Amino acid sequence: MKLPVLVGAMALVAHAALPPRVTECRTHEYHGKQAEARACFTRLLSAPDPYLRAEGQYGLGNYAAANNEFKAAEQRNPKDANLKVRWGRLLIEPFNKNYSDAASLFQEALEIDKKHSGALFGMALAASNGFDSKATEFARQALEAEPGLVEAQELLAQLALEDVNFAKAIEEANKALKMSPEALDAMAALAAVEAVEDRNPDVWLKKIAAINPRYGRGHAIVAHHLVLNRRYDEGIALYRKALELDPSYLEARSQLGINLMRMGKEAEAKQQLEQAFAAGFKESSTTNSLRLIDSYKNFATYKTPLSVLKLHKREAELLRIYFEPELLKCISTYEKKYKVKLPVPVQLEVYPDHEDFAVRTMGMPGLGASGVTFGTVVAMDSPSGRKPGTFHWAATLWHEMSHVFVLTATRHRVPRWFTEGVAVQEESAIYPDWGDRMTPEILMAIKEKKLLPVAELDRGFIRPSYPNQVIVSYFQGGRVIDFIKARWGFDKVLAMMNAFAKGTDTPEVVQTVLGVAPAEFDKQFLAYLEKEAGPVIAKFDEWRKVLRAAAAALKEKKHDEAIAEGEKAIAMYRDYVEGANGYEIVGEAALAKGDKAKAIDVYQRYAAVGGRKPDTLKKLALLQEQAGDKRAAAATLEKVNFIYPIKDDVMHKRLGEIYLGLANSPGAIREFRAWLAEKPNDRADANYHLARAYHAARQSDKAEEHLLEALEVAPGFRPAQKLLLELNAQKK
Amino acid sequence: MAGLVLSAAMLPAASVHFVTVAGLGSEPDYEQRFASLAKEVDKIVHESSGEPKVYTLSGEAGTRARLTETLGRIAREAAADDTFVLMLIGHGSYDGGDYKFNLRGPDISATDLAAACDKIPAGRQLIVNTTSASGGAMKALQRPNRAVIAATRSGSEKNATVFGRFWVEAMRDPAADVDKNESITALEAFRYADRKTASFYETNKRIATEHAVLEDTGKGDPARNPNDENGQGLLSARFSLVRHGAAQKAAANPAKQGLLARKDDLEARIDRLKLEKAAMSVEVYKRQLSALLIQLAQVQEELDK
Repeated sequence: MKLPVLVGAMALVAHAALPPRVTECRTHEYHGKQAEARACFTRLLSAPDPYLRAEGQYGLGNYAAANNEFKAAEQRNPKDANLKVRWGRLLIEPFNKNYSDAASLFQEALEIDKKHSGALFGMALAASNGFDSKATEFARQALEAEPGLVEAQELLAQLALEDVNFAKAIEEANKALKMSPEALDAMAALAAVEAVEDRNPDVWLKKIAAINPRYGRGHAIVAHHLVLNRRYDEGIALYRKALELDPSYLEARSQLGINLMRMGKEAEAKQQLEQAFAAGFKESSTTNSLRLIDSYKNFATYKTPLSVLKLHKREAELLRIYFEPELLKCISTYEKKYKVKLPVPVQLEVYPDHEDFAVRTMGMPGLGASGVTFGTVVAMDSPSGRKPGTFHWAATLWHEMSHVFVLTATRHRVPRWFTEGVAVQEESAIYPDWGDRMTPEILMAIKEKKLLPVAELDRGFIRPSYPNQVIVSYFQGGRVIDFIKARWGFDKVLAMMNAFAKGTDTPEVVQTVLGVAPAEFDKQFLAYLEKEAGPVIAKFDEWRKVLRAAAAALKEKKHDEAIAEGEKAIAMYRDYVEGANGYEIVGEAALAKGDKAKAIDVYQRYAAVGGRKPDTLKKLALLQEQAGDKRAAAATLEKVNFIYPIKDDVMHKRLGEIYLGLANSPGAIREFRAWLAEKPNDRADANYHLARAYHAARQSDKAEEHLLEALEVAPGFRPAQKLLLELNAQKK
Repeated sequence: MAGLVLSAAMLPAASVHFVTVAGLGSEPDYEQRFASLAKEVDKIVHESSGEPKVYTLSGEAGTRARLTETLGRIAREAAADDTFVLMLIGHGSYDGGDYKFNLRGPDISATDLAAACDKIPAGRQLIVNTTSASGGAMKALQRPNRAVIAATRSGSEKNATVFGRFWVEAMRDPAADVDKNESITALEAFRYADRKTASFYETNKRIATEHAVLEDTGKGDPARNPNDENGQGLLSARFSLVRHGAAQKAAANPAKQGLLARKDDLEARIDRLKLEKAAMSVEVYKRQLSALLIQLAQVQEELDK
């Protein structure tokens, strides 16, 4: 999962487009001479020109007033590109974060002057916020238009850092320092390289302090890059230092709060965020995070020596039944597999509202991911937060927990591709049908040779250059780890993890641990992948036609033809279980023909390959049960429990009854408890069944307890009455 | 479920008049859905042993003329101790003033519907309006001794509803019988259908566009959650919609009258004990409840022989 850019617009060094009076004020500010800067900006307020007044208000932090003055200034000079750029810069400030309006103003300025360096740089800033790969392009264009534009050069250093290309970052930062020895953000970028690479960044931080002793932003930039590298505790420490230097630096305070929240330190997070909010920093991340913290009262917390599980109260009783044992099983498995003991209990937070989860993660709604790990704190969607069949909660849990172990083992010194690759591989390691399938988007990326070399794979996660690149990179990471496991064994994966922990980079780890050059590794990996994907890609176009023919035949009730074409489609592209797929077409046609055996066969293949639609799986379970194969039916319904165990009291009842029939009392107890936790309309029946399961497990006390609950609601409930008499007779 | 019968509480001597209307679907899908639901209600009611008078107006018969004619006939034939049930399936509309049930040809307004139902002398009435905007008809239809249920809380909830589907499901699902007395009351069916409706929207990640309400005092505000506090649900809780199982047979056997009396007494004692629960220690309550429940189970065992 990727994190958003946390650092807003750059501070200014050179101000070619600024009037001298404004430059003077900004220069005071840049050197930390606050009193002089304030006095200077205040003087601008009495200027007759609204633009100068706008700059005055802007410098004093009065953003609303500045915005009004800019508006007035634009009315007077609608064709002033400089003015539009400065207004855009105001809008992009962390207080506003209005990137779309800012980009419009930069665009308008470029329509007036297509080589306006400030406008091009503004576009670069706006693009960098969304990890848009165009940011670098715009920054370079700005530098072409104005070769001395230090800000643009500094931004290139930041962007290289975000790409984890430290050599490039150093090169770009040094160029900025050649342009201006006072390029503070270039120094901060160099400090960030030192910090991320586990060296002491103080040399650069001291240089920054010598120029501007109050420049908290220097520390905040380093903190930002540490956070991007998942080193939250270190990031938090640096945000604190940034605030020591400049207590009025509200963006840093907000980020401190957000990162404290990520680490599960809600009390201090709330305090910091409230402080930022009260001081006027009311941008969306701060506000959303505070709102979320307020909602924590709606969560129930369950603790064991190894775990802290937080579930929303409205679904806690039910989800705990499945989440807690799975979390503990996961910890126990990974402890052995990764040879790591976690220092503290894992905190798992499960959000029924996906947007709450997104705010928990980034401070903003709109996140595509379904789980995120912050050290030993994991936040993820609840199955109820997603449409049934679109989300496998157990695979997500095992994926995120893998991060917990890999990050702990490496002290967060691990490239993103590796930890994601290991996590994706883990999804299928426990049950082969759990992991995500090879989708058409991934196949196309392979066909178009869009996979990145292993040494550059991080770029695919951080700064994607095409729409599905993040998904493709997850897949590639997972398959890279699969390949290493298959070719060298899992011990080499562990050896790579330990090498990364020592700060070694990917090319060196590949070379030293696997004994092949990265280029040779890529070659071998692509050959490995070709075996899996090649045949599918070769027949991809034909597969589409065959699938369409199968669907059409089904619609026309030509069931034999639908089965034949559907089977062909499956043979060509086995992994395709989404949308209208061959498996379900064949299954439906077989059922229409009354051929239940065929339907069972194809639905079983669908389930085995990772088909996740709960309704289809439940259909399979019913067919299996009708065919007398209760064990298979139970196994199929267990798959549904790992996908969507909620809002289905009928399924829990059914699985419980199957387990009772199979003399699996613990399974029956679990399922009837789940049924009861669904708060069913028919509580008497649920309690009665739970009593039966406890009775079968020879737990008479609990059986009697639930019988009384059943009969309290429904005193005349015959089956419960009979069991009560039976229990009573046994007592005697 | 097999063996659904109309309630014994709908007194054997008295008649039950059950009218189901499938309104205009406008689209083939809705036409089929409404007709299918009406057919299912018809089947459930016909399978009853209480010989109810069943009128199902569906397809071409789903017109205002046929509906008013049917209600007029019941008004002429019904007696004061009879029971009358009207179930409306389909689309409704609301213009801010009056509700209309959409039928083939002219629609019927809530006011006209109420006027026709008011002429029916049956002392116990239930109107289940499962249409869109049905909440807009509540005020017009409310009357003492009549329970009125609407799929929507107001006339402004205008999207097609699913409540009706789950109401019919309640009529045939023993799980709707939460107190296991072998009878599904109007209140039990309402709660069952309301819950299933909410779950339908949640599972499909859709904003709920219908919120069912119930009013059975004839003078109160329709309630989303009928309970003692809002005073709604008392009539509906006694309004047995369908009955299943063997309870009716026992009631008809003079040899078992003593046991039935004993059973009634035990049930009454259990009810009293439940009322006193808050004032008792958990242990004492459980002990006493357990003793009474065992006695009740033993009596029931005798009754079932």
